[in-house]
Amino acid sequence: MIYINIFFSEIYKIIFLLLPVLVSIALIVWLDRRVWAFVQKRKGPNVVGPFGILQTLADALKFMFKEIIIPASANKVIFVLAPIITLTLALIAWAVIPFSNEMVLANINVGILYLFAVSSLSVYGIIMGGWASNSKYPFLGAIRSAAQMVSYEVSIGIIIVNVLLCVGSLNLNKIVLAQENVWFIFPLFPMFVVFFISALAETNRPPFDLPEAESELVAGYQTEYSGMMYAMFWLGEYANILLLCALGSILFLGGWLSPIDIYPLNLLPGAFWMIFKILGLFILFSLVKAIVPRYRFDQLMRLGWKIFLPLSLIWVVLTASFLFFLDMLPVAG
Amino acid sequence: MPKIIINNKEVEFEEGMTVLQACELAGAEIPRFCYHERLSIAGNCRMCLVENKKSPKPIASCAEPAVEGMNIKTNTPLVDKARKGVMEFLLANHPLDCPVCDQGGECDLQDQSMFYGFDYSRYSENKRQVKEKYMGPLIKTIMTRCIHCTRCIRFATEVAGIPELGAIGRGEDMEITTYLERAMESEMSANVIDLCPVGALTSKPYAFEARPWDLKKTETIDVMDAVGSNIRVDTYGWEVKRVLPRVNEDINEEWISDKTRYACDGLLKQRLDTPYIRENGRLQKSSWDQALKLLISKLKSFDPNEVAGLVGDLADLEMIYSFKSFFEKCIGSTNLECRQDRIYINPQERMNYIFNSSINGIEDSDFILLVGTNPRLEATILNARIRKAYIKNKLKIYSIGDAGDLTYPYQNIGSNTSIIREIVSGSHEISHKIKKAKKPMIIIGDSALYGKSGKYVFETLKNFLSYNNFIKKDWNALNILTQQASRVGAIDCDVYSINEAENFSFFNKLENDDFKLIYLLGADNINFEKKNKFVVYQGSHGDRGAEIADIILPGAAYTEKNGLFINLEGKLQSAYKASYPPGDAREDWIIFKDLANMMKKPLGYHNVKQLRESINKHIQSKINNGVKKTNEVDFIEENISVKPIDYYYTNSIARSSKVMSECRQISKKFLFTGIEKAS
Amino acid sequence: MKISRIIKTVFMADFVAGLLIAIKTIFKSSKTINYPFEKGKISPRFRGEHALRRYPNGEERCIACKLCEAVCPAQAITIESEIKNDGSRKTTRYDIDMLKCIYCGLCEESCPVDAIVQGPNFEFGTETREELYYNKQKLLENGDKWETVLAENIKADLPFR
Repeated sequence: MIYINIFFSEIYKIIFLLLPVLVSIALIVWLDRRVWAFVQKRKGPNVVGPFGILQTLADALKFMFKEIIIPASANKVIFVLAPIITLTLALIAWAVIPFSNEMVLANINVGILYLFAVSSLSVYGIIMGGWASNSKYPFLGAIRSAAQMVSYEVSIGIIIVNVLLCVGSLNLNKIVLAQENVWFIFPLFPMFVVFFISALAETNRPPFDLPEAESELVAGYQTEYSGMMYAMFWLGEYANILLLCALGSILFLGGWLSPIDIYPLNLLPGAFWMIFKILGLFILFSLVKAIVPRYRFDQLMRLGWKIFLPLSLIWVVLTASFLFFLDMLPVAG
Repeated sequence: MPKIIINNKEVEFEEGMTVLQACELAGAEIPRFCYHERLSIAGNCRMCLVENKKSPKPIASCAEPAVEGMNIKTNTPLVDKARKGVMEFLLANHPLDCPVCDQGGECDLQDQSMFYGFDYSRYSENKRQVKEKYMGPLIKTIMTRCIHCTRCIRFATEVAGIPELGAIGRGEDMEITTYLERAMESEMSANVIDLCPVGALTSKPYAFEARPWDLKKTETIDVMDAVGSNIRVDTYGWEVKRVLPRVNEDINEEWISDKTRYACDGLLKQRLDTPYIRENGRLQKSSWDQALKLLISKLKSFDPNEVAGLVGDLADLEMIYSFKSFFEKCIGSTNLECRQDRIYINPQERMNYIFNSSINGIEDSDFILLVGTNPRLEATILNARIRKAYIKNKLKIYSIGDAGDLTYPYQNIGSNTSIIREIVSGSHEISHKIKKAKKPMIIIGDSALYGKSGKYVFETLKNFLSYNNFIKKDWNALNILTQQASRVGAIDCDVYSINEAENFSFFNKLENDDFKLIYLLGADNINFEKKNKFVVYQGSHGDRGAEIADIILPGAAYTEKNGLFINLEGKLQSAYKASYPPGDAREDWIIFKDLANMMKKPLGYHNVKQLRESINKHIQSKINNGVKKTNEVDFIEENISVKPIDYYYTNSIARSSKVMSECRQISKKFLFTGIEKAS
Repeated sequence: MKISRIIKTVFMADFVAGLLIAIKTIFKSSKTINYPFEKGKISPRFRGEHALRRYPNGEERCIACKLCEAVCPAQAITIESEIKNDGSRKTTRYDIDMLKCIYCGLCEESCPVDAIVQGPNFEFGTETREELYYNKQKLLENGDKWETVLAENIKADLPFR
């Protein structure tokens, strides 16, 4: 009986987390399109719902009623599995994201490691989709995508090491609380920039959307997908974007903490500030999409391996030396 | 030969040529409206103006005889200005109704105004309006468009020989008219439509039907009579929209008869498009498989000698030859006949049943004796050639039997076989004239070969000519005027039942009811009682043959298959497929091939090429046949009267044609042969 | 590489400038129109959906001259004609395959009686292909529906023809 109670309370918690995430994905897609449109002096989706806010819902409905076409020569099991894995991995990562001191589904000690592991796995979904389609464009797209994600994960990992050096814990709550005095964006600003750019590459956003560069690869690994399966890829992609925005705000922007700890601001719940920061980062994501042209693949690789990796490594050494010589290393635990 | 300079180029020309013809020799094209090679020169349109160095004004090249040493220029600014002026005058009164004009797209005035016309008019006065004239059911008139080239008048008087068209009034009031507002009494009246350079005379049945650029044009051969006129069939999809003449100097020059031109709407009506089987006295639709199986079981149930085949008038060689080989190989019967009209033939030699002097030869001839024929109705184009020869050479024409109005004068020397006896014995005045003539022609028609005296008439006249040395390699005076397109080909393919004793063994057997199954291959002019015979009809139209048939197999009409035809001169001509058979109908020789294959006795040829090779082999052996002597034939006294012909109703296609019916209604009011009573 | 260039690269000056322009642009009014609710101005020569016009007395203008059929580069027009009882030349069939049509306007240009015209309507999408095979009846209906505008457009274009 007690297990059933725990089970239902967990389910309740999970649903309470996932629903807002999914709804916010829908809103964020709409926001993305609107921002993009405004930068180009267009109107963007404005018909469905007030300001077109329900456009994504309409699109999702459309996808639901579309036929799912599975190519005859595809590996059917893996083909069907790929979008499911992508979406699942993108969603389970949210389990450790704290929206306030208490509002976290699983407050585990190795939260950042878990997050990192899950987001590394998501490359499998893409590789599986590209391979199982048994078609040229998806395959090329998947290879590019895998190379790109692996490359940028390395620099993201090292950037996180920077932050961890300052915090002395892998627990996300602790990371946030460590920024009570000063957000890490100030001491580690170059690392924030590198993290932001790497996040763009990690999520295949423009200017690093090479895996689905429509002028050369049609739609990359998604080419053969249709209907709800395509929508799942798409949801997974945006969930990942949102996740990285959340990670960015936790690592550098002080998570749920209010910008200044003064009277009217610190009354607002932590979740509000968290969402506010995620949103701010996401708008930056959209603006970048609107203003930067696409990279060439060799440029992308050069940036990852020859600039970001050395830079972040050097910064690790600098941070470590700084903390060591000024005796500011955090106490373990 | 004299020489003339045209555009600084020296060309030689024949004496008597006009400047225009000389210019054409030099390759300089002269625009013209009134000038036509086959008509007399009028010189009234002034479009053909060219510059002559010696004359102060431009000259009308069509009316100016070419003279040695002339220096002609056809492309100077003077010429251009003159022609533009003429064109402006022509267009001053010509209505701007090209969009609704049937001539649009093939109009001389339209084409030439592209070169010489202005794009605006300087005339603010009202255009002339002329009342429409009635010219019969074939010719639609919009006289406002007329530019008074008078080609139609000249055609009617010179070629057709019916001076019924003329111009009344002068200047602006000039009008082309039939005077009495009635249809032209000619079988080739519709040629004026082709001659008219503008849209004043257009085709009434074709009115607003299609545009020339819409139509698929197929050059083929006509089957309405045995002349084998060269025609162009214009089709829109499946429908044959119109038939136009094609130039062939040896046969039809550039004229065709009205029947050739307008029977084509019969191709759309009364068509057999699916096999039929008679059940309980009524024809029921059926399938090919069913019909052919029934036919084969019937063929097997009768003795081969009880099975007979009759070939119709419109059959092509492929059809006839495969029919014959089907009868010989698959049935084992030789009861075949092509002469539905029961006229006498002697098939021993090829010259015995063809028009040996050739149609072109008529113009060289200096004496023509018509024996029981009315060429005007039996071979309209050939008659036009006789008229041309009459005008050119003033040749003497005599006739045995009253042929009625032939459009040229001839002398009727009686209508009895005794005249022939007199001629042969030398006691008749004609006899000397024939002997004196250099190139005489005796044209023997169906009416003379019909009946008991047919054999006498033919053999005696042939012997007479042969005796007087008129049957030679370079000139053969013996001419048989057949009326059916299939006749010469059928005889060449040996489709007849003639034995030593009798010429009509087939019909005797038919009348004695010796046949149980009779196979009609497009034979519609039939003349026997059905009684309890089983009749199979294969053909294109639901006509007299299909009416009595127990099985109907739908075949293709002449525009719907590639076929070979031999015309009355013995010329082999190829007809091409312009359309395709309607519904389930098939090309006829394929039906026989299928039948033979179903009976497991294949005919030995699988495609048209192989079929044509065997036909060719067969006909070549006929042509190379040696001369055979014939015996004297006893005299039989009989009247030779030219049989009246229902001209517009001679075959199943014409009978299905609405236009032909209208023409027939109107022609009944005319007197043609002199024997016919006006109704 | 110049030092200033290096500094610019390190501090991403170009990117920041671009970002600022983008942010500024967001607050400017958009240049596009809100299509299904607002519509742009259409020229009198606009080549939209076809229509067959009539004379004010109701008689069809088309005289079946087949010039449009001949001039049509996509061969989208099929015309069959006949002689009417009053002796006039009229169509029995006038089909336009709107799927073949490339909307070049040559049919309109070639028409001697302004019968076939391309109207201002461009919103005639259908759910099936069959609905876009226009026949004479459909074209005449279009003509009746749009006649006022069509007549105005032709009048407006008159001085230039």
